[in-house]
Amino acid sequence: MNPTLLFQDLIILPFAAAVIIYLVGRISLRKEKDWGFSVARALAVFSLLIEGCLLYFAVKFALQTGGIYLDVGEVSLMLDGIGLVLTAVVLFLGLMVTLFSVDYMAGEKGEEKYYALLLSTIGSIIGLGLAFDLFTLWIWFEAMAISTFLLVAFYNDEPPSLEAGIKYLVQSAVGSALVLLGIALIFSQAGSTSFAVIWQAASMSAPMILIGGILLIVGFGVKTALVPLHTWLPDAHSQAPSGISAMLSGIVIEAGMIAMLRSLSFMGRIEFNWGAVLLVFGCLNILVGNLLALRQTEVKRLLAYSSLVHVGYMLVGFGVGFWYGQANGATGGFFHLITHSLMKGLAFLAAGALLYALHLKNNEHVPLTLSDLNGASRKYPLAAFALSVALLALGGLPPLAGFMSKWQILVAAASAKNTLMIIVIIFVGLNSVLSLGYYAPIVNRLYRRETSAAVENGKPIPVMMIVPLLLLVLAVVVIGLWPAAMDFFTTKATASLLYPFFY
Amino acid sequence: MNLPLPLIVLITIFCLAGVGLYCLLITRNLIKVVIALQLMVKGAVLAFILAGNLTGQMNTAQTLALTVIVADTIVAVVGLALAVQIRLRTGSLDVKSLSSLKR
Amino acid sequence: MTMAMIAVMIGGPWLGALVVWAVGDKREKLQHWLAVLFSAVAGAAAIVLIPNATSEAIVKIPVGGAFGDFTFVPDGLGVFLSVIATVIGSLAVVFSTSYMKGEASLGRYYAFVLFFIGAMVGLVLSSNLLLIFFFWEITALCSYALIAFHNDDPKAVRGGVKALIITSIGGVGLLVGALVLFAYTGSFDLNTFLGASGTIPANILSLLAFGFLIAAAAKSAQFPFQTWLPDAMEAPSPISALIHAATMVNAGVYLLARTFPAFQGVPFWREAVMIVGTLSAILAAVMALTANDLKRVLAYSTVSQLGYMVYAIGAGGVFASQFHLFSHSIFKALLFLGAGAVIHSIGTRDMLEMGGVGRKLPLVKWVFIIGSLALAGLPILNGFWSKELILEAGLKGGPAWLYVLMVIVAGLTALYTARCVWLVFFGEPRTEYHVHPAGIGMKVALIPLALAALVSWIAVGPFSALLGERTLPYHEIEQTSLATVIHEILTLPTLIALLVIGLGILLWFTRSKMEGLINGLRSIRWASEKSFGFEALNTAFVEVTNNIAEALRSTQTGILNWNVFAIAASLIILFVILVLGG
Repeated sequence: MNPTLLFQDLIILPFAAAVIIYLVGRISLRKEKDWGFSVARALAVFSLLIEGCLLYFAVKFALQTGGIYLDVGEVSLMLDGIGLVLTAVVLFLGLMVTLFSVDYMAGEKGEEKYYALLLSTIGSIIGLGLAFDLFTLWIWFEAMAISTFLLVAFYNDEPPSLEAGIKYLVQSAVGSALVLLGIALIFSQAGSTSFAVIWQAASMSAPMILIGGILLIVGFGVKTALVPLHTWLPDAHSQAPSGISAMLSGIVIEAGMIAMLRSLSFMGRIEFNWGAVLLVFGCLNILVGNLLALRQTEVKRLLAYSSLVHVGYMLVGFGVGFWYGQANGATGGFFHLITHSLMKGLAFLAAGALLYALHLKNNEHVPLTLSDLNGASRKYPLAAFALSVALLALGGLPPLAGFMSKWQILVAAASAKNTLMIIVIIFVGLNSVLSLGYYAPIVNRLYRRETSAAVENGKPIPVMMIVPLLLLVLAVVVIGLWPAAMDFFTTKATASLLYPFFY
Repeated sequence: MNLPLPLIVLITIFCLAGVGLYCLLITRNLIKVVIALQLMVKGAVLAFILAGNLTGQMNTAQTLALTVIVADTIVAVVGLALAVQIRLRTGSLDVKSLSSLKR
Repeated sequence: MTMAMIAVMIGGPWLGALVVWAVGDKREKLQHWLAVLFSAVAGAAAIVLIPNATSEAIVKIPVGGAFGDFTFVPDGLGVFLSVIATVIGSLAVVFSTSYMKGEASLGRYYAFVLFFIGAMVGLVLSSNLLLIFFFWEITALCSYALIAFHNDDPKAVRGGVKALIITSIGGVGLLVGALVLFAYTGSFDLNTFLGASGTIPANILSLLAFGFLIAAAAKSAQFPFQTWLPDAMEAPSPISALIHAATMVNAGVYLLARTFPAFQGVPFWREAVMIVGTLSAILAAVMALTANDLKRVLAYSTVSQLGYMVYAIGAGGVFASQFHLFSHSIFKALLFLGAGAVIHSIGTRDMLEMGGVGRKLPLVKWVFIIGSLALAGLPILNGFWSKELILEAGLKGGPAWLYVLMVIVAGLTALYTARCVWLVFFGEPRTEYHVHPAGIGMKVALIPLALAALVSWIAVGPFSALLGERTLPYHEIEQTSLATVIHEILTLPTLIALLVIGLGILLWFTRSKMEGLINGLRSIRWASEKSFGFEALNTAFVEVTNNIAEALRSTQTGILNWNVFAIAASLIILFVILVLGG
């Protein structure tokens, strides 16, 4: 197969599918037929499967030849380790979310828009992972942001979801403007936005690139939910449809982080301690996220704050990688990115399944509170089990995936062999314990014998919603028992990230 | 006063971005918030043009600037659409009243 | 062969956990039988493993990178503890078939018990610190899930979460130790570490030593982490017997014993270990004296006895500590199961509401008395021999004043044991209660334990051979025989200790004449009922954390202007840092 064609298809397919799905949905709506939506759902799942096959062939080809490049005018794209991780994760999670949404979104107003936007979000994230040019990166970043604005405000007759949407939009746009200023600064020094050129221009005396880099950290940091830029996140995560919450938390904020890291990796020669900045933000995220989650009463908001914590873990890993050149740090960071997307995806989908059964199906648009969960395992054993697994994995308990990825990050910190890093390890360890303080009681609630009123009046959960939950549970357990399974992805991504940074 | 052109543009960029940011901090009207966002991005667009001018890469700079304008217009449209919806559902455009989601 | 046994001991119970859970709560009888089957298979595998103990790594799965090789080494220490875990585990499961009859969510109960047994075996058999931490946390998870088994009871949930959090806080010490060890030696393997501990810089070695001590203290409920164990008594009684007396709480002692050869030279480490052990022993013994909840008394006594073991390790008596661990697992499991039978029969845990139970439950009375005598350290039960060995080791390897304190604690132990037995089984019933007879499963589990408490000390010779040079090359444990031990123990210090123990028992029976003394000690009683302030410390810690969290929450105003301000402010701060520090 022609690699260039393959590569183009990989990027074009989700957007083409999005358009077709939208049209099919609109046409069937116009003709007042129901079959259109079934076709739309099937198309969404099908296109994601094809996308997975395309990725498989692309990776196979890249492994044989040492990489795929594509230059279209000013736009340059490349499939490397970072792109591979991001693409693989977004496709897997996207598939799970699409399967989950089949019943969750059935009959909602504007269902065709939902799938179209979901696919274009996935497409933009794939593009973001493959972009090898600062400005192209920004375009994909913006495309991703625009698709998710609409998804967050999807329930457009509910004031809270509109509120979350506009807050997300404004803060994202501010971040995006800062990114643009940063790109302009870097452009003014390097004369190009290509990473290769920036990498050459970024030597000791490159003040514009340095300032630009800081603008990029803050700009992309809004999407990455660095504390204190995180304020949009709990609103957006809790108000979006549950599948979208899973996407936002599982991959969108990580995509922002990848964009930031990818840009920074070409500024390694600048005399500035990028690693320390990441590390400080990481620790701040962990602490603040944990404390904010500790007293939450709404399940999805609590999970949203726990996203802050996990972004913090990743940043600690990448920070150690940049600061001390510990490859394990970056590997652990990517590993945690993968496991977090599985765990948090699972958590949001399981919470979503319960929200659907307890409230949405009863036509109540209210948030799922902790006390609603009392005794949920009596009526919904599988969903409750999935949520428990997700929460315990997020808390870092073995034999679940979150434990192993945290471990790898901390190994890197220890390998730096200095007192500061030992303090960081103790800090992260104690915070991990603190997080058990809000995860563990939820698990207990799920397994109570006395059921809440919401559970008593709950409707059954459709089978199609349970399937992705079980697949994700399986993945979380298997990776927890066999951490080396992800080495193929994480080591390649680490090489792509650290090689330009240190040479 | 005889300022060189790049400096004037630079000052304009700072003013646009600064006014935009300041406006975001103080305004309570959602429409004005969207306008403030536009101001900030317009500053960035000018910055691209200036950077192109300084490095002699004017073609690239103009391409980038145009793309930014297009992308940013979409954001503005979505933002205004949301503002309209909010006005319809809550009857108000005040940012302060939009704080049901907190803590 | 050995490899297969290890796989059966860890994988068997884990598979059993899945099967029992999958069978579903509707088929209760099948669940009981399956649980017994899977735990018994693991127990049989463990016993078969005894003659095959070796210091070679039998299972070695290379994982690489930051995870090291997943190795399992069935050496003497590991095999011994895995036998305890699986055999007492099976007995606890057998006991549960009567005790938990008709309970809801049996699947969850047995699944976690079996999951725990497998994890405990993994913990003691693996020599990779990552795996040890991995199993360490799984045992904590199971302990939490089983303490909070009755989820509707807020006390049970609080106890479970408290146990999880405190042991995990201690776990951070193990985590740091493991990671730092990897940073300096490039391996997580404990045996490599024991062989090459001299090459590690001294300050790093003491970081490791004290990190492991913190972890061990939290896991074994030692000072200052002892508060979680009494609250863990909300668990069903077989769980208290298995996890909170015989196995999991020994993990800390195990860790100290296993790493002793590397750390014995670290300055102040041995002293610190001895002081932790002594403080726990004293405080817990006093609290056991004033508690009225039968299971809490036993919990305090567990803390106190674990204190003995920790003290022995500090004094250099690794063998003595492990021998006491062996005896203690048997008699404390017996006591907890006996207490479980009593509680199951009359439906209360308050000793003041009991009295005269012995007449209704003669078998339980006799086995409980055997267990109590072993706990008190009276000859010729197993507790006597092991406790005397510890005191002897303490006299040889530690300061005299600690030895004196430990002898006094032995007297206190006898006192509270006598009080407990008397309040429960003798005298007149203080309230009206109805007695259900003990079930068949209970009897089947209690009798072998009682017999073992009587005779297990005879095995001291083979026991020392198991822990000897062949399987533990770094511990320098001398092989000994029964005759030698008897000869060593029958000396003057033992007589003194026996005298103190006798005095302790006497004190209980002459309590009516001691009014003055008891009144004089009222302040101690008050302090002990307040758990010497540790409970208040815990509560204050939780309060402060919650208050900070609430305060932080109120900064999340949800107003857009402030959100944008946060962005602008962080940008400015970053620029200021750039200008100031570069």
